[in-house]
Amino acid sequence: MRKKLLVGILAVCMTATLLSGCKGKETKTEDASVSATQQEQTEAEKVEDTAEPITLTVFSNLPDRKNGQGLVEQKIIDDYMSENPNVTIEVEALDEEAYKTKFKAYAMNGMPDVVSIWGQPSFLDEVLEAGILEPLNEADYADYGFVSGSLEGFKKDGKLYGLPRNTDVMGFYYNQKMFEDNGWEVPKNYDELLVLGKKIKEAGIVPVAMDGGDGWPLAIYLTDLLVRVDGNIKDIVSNAIATGDFTDPSIVEATKLLAKTAQSGLFQVGYDSQDYGTAMNLFTNGQAAMFYMGSWEASMALNEDISEEVRNNIRAFTMPPITDGKGAQTDIAAWNGGGYAVAAQSEQKEEAIKFLNYMYQPDKLSKYGWENGVGMSAQDQSAYMTGNETNLQNQFTDILNNATSVSGTPINDCGPSVFKTAMESEIQSVCNGTKSVDDFLSVIGETCK
Amino acid sequence: MKTEKKQSKIGRAILWIVLIIVAVIQIFPLVWLIDFSLASSNEMFTSGLLIIPKKIQWGNYIKAFIDGHFLLYLKNSILINSLAVLLVVVISIMAAFACRRMEWKLSGFVKTLLLVGMMIPIHATLLPNYKIYNTIGLTDTIWALLIPYVAFSLPQALFLMTGFIAALPVELEEAAVVDGCGIYRIVFLIITPLLKPSISTVAIMTFLNNWNEFMMASTYLSSPKWKTLPFSVLEFTGQYSSNYAVQFAVMALTAAPAVIVYILLNKHITKGVAMGAVKG
Repeated sequence: MRKKLLVGILAVCMTATLLSGCKGKETKTEDASVSATQQEQTEAEKVEDTAEPITLTVFSNLPDRKNGQGLVEQKIIDDYMSENPNVTIEVEALDEEAYKTKFKAYAMNGMPDVVSIWGQPSFLDEVLEAGILEPLNEADYADYGFVSGSLEGFKKDGKLYGLPRNTDVMGFYYNQKMFEDNGWEVPKNYDELLVLGKKIKEAGIVPVAMDGGDGWPLAIYLTDLLVRVDGNIKDIVSNAIATGDFTDPSIVEATKLLAKTAQSGLFQVGYDSQDYGTAMNLFTNGQAAMFYMGSWEASMALNEDISEEVRNNIRAFTMPPITDGKGAQTDIAAWNGGGYAVAAQSEQKEEAIKFLNYMYQPDKLSKYGWENGVGMSAQDQSAYMTGNETNLQNQFTDILNNATSVSGTPINDCGPSVFKTAMESEIQSVCNGTKSVDDFLSVIGETCK
Repeated sequence: MKTEKKQSKIGRAILWIVLIIVAVIQIFPLVWLIDFSLASSNEMFTSGLLIIPKKIQWGNYIKAFIDGHFLLYLKNSILINSLAVLLVVVISIMAAFACRRMEWKLSGFVKTLLLVGMMIPIHATLLPNYKIYNTIGLTDTIWALLIPYVAFSLPQALFLMTGFIAALPVELEEAAVVDGCGIYRIVFLIITPLLKPSISTVAIMTFLNNWNEFMMASTYLSSPKWKTLPFSVLEFTGQYSSNYAVQFAVMALTAAPAVIVYILLNKHITKGVAMGAVKG
């Protein structure tokens, strides 16, 4: 009897030691990472002749480090580490939704040194109120060639808190060969676009592939239409968000136009539940004639997974003007969304800012981004034109260079985060007609009050 | 006689058809998963239900293994999940015995208190827990996952165990006491072997719930050291669109251990749930 009891107790004890063994090991490594700086400092004191080793942490919203923007970011980090052997950069990357949740957790304590941010009120306002970002000295960036106005979204009370990564332009991609074969022409005004949509549909092809499942492309479409209706939209939008009153005639007109467009069948069947990849593949497989998306997808022209016939014939145009509208085709929907900032409580602030500045050296983000076709940077990149750009890249550069005005932040990102959420979910209802325009505008207005 | 035979034949046929339909519905997602994991990203958007890949893309699996850090994450997942299952089973057996069989003032209250845990949504605890872990230096360690995994699985496990223990005859324990058995031996040598079906139910539920958990893992962990399998899918998520084909491969690989565990313990789980439910 005793023996068996003893065996039982021993078994429990063994499990406990096993677990505490794990614990011991864990606490050790934990200590190691937490007090890394302290240890490194003492090590550095021992070895006086080498530079002090530093570990920078980067928190990024680009989890795929082998393609696109994530590859560009990783390349720059690798460059920096090879040029500064004493610096180790640890990257933690999560996709946008998880990123924003964890960002809140980090905001309570222990922000990583360099973080991805969005220069839009829906994200930045709350972050700046919490005071977790380090203000940057704007004068330092005078010769970095930032496109004029691109820093505005990252400022508060005249202080600069972050730097923009890209310039994004929204437009229609179209399949030039398909257009020529069928005798279709790029529409010169919005009515022509709708007529063209009908023609394309009759030919059994989807006119415009739309990522309606996500909500934000529709919101940008609305922004684009608002620009056509009323030229300069910044005051209208900020006014509406401040008061919660979205009954401004221009906003009503633009929303009605959006609903009319969606219901006229310009987008594919089931657009309001199909996601980014589905919409894009409709276009790249030749099942759709046009695709409404941002300039970051200009890399389609370089993507070898897309058949050559489609790939080489992708061109783009911006939203055509509407009759009696104040905006022209050269008033474009463009903004500088994502970017980077340094945490205020970073222990290696100097090194972090040095790294931030390094990323924005003209031959880093701009050059690598351009070479990888991930879109246009927020800096002047004319120096990196090789003459081998795709027609599509050139088109977007021209669109940007010839723009008479830019819209700034799309409407869904102008308000608080509840507004963004409501806008992006309700906009599908107004498009498919389950909600009236007035209801939609009052619902999104409520969230601003 | 003849008609009766005929009827039973028809009944049997209908039963078969229904069962086949159910089986197809159950198995289809797995077939679909494996089918898509062998196609290329571009073939994925054809209108057909299943794809016949032009070329079978084993490369997806290679990418999933190497770029997705599959082996490291698999090791972490297995370690964390086995420890969680072990702890949940041991604690829930002891707690259920204490609350159900031992007589003390607060036994009912403690049991209710533990069961109330079922009502707490994970998301509500996310940020407070992060704050606590950060203060006591547990973030980015195995404990940051183990503690919440055990805590969130425990109420359900306790619920099943108490129901099951109540069904066991008290006489068994009385006999054991008469023979001079102590409390530990009663719990671990007399009760535990009889709880086998409910232990496997608890084990499989804890395992499956925590195997796919991502929200807590993504918040409490930051370095790759303890990241679990769901992070593997993330490695192929782009800023706007993702490498779906490789993600399918990762998901097929992630699902495999869970499916295997389910098949192994399947016999017990249905028994365990039903018995616990009726007699609780």
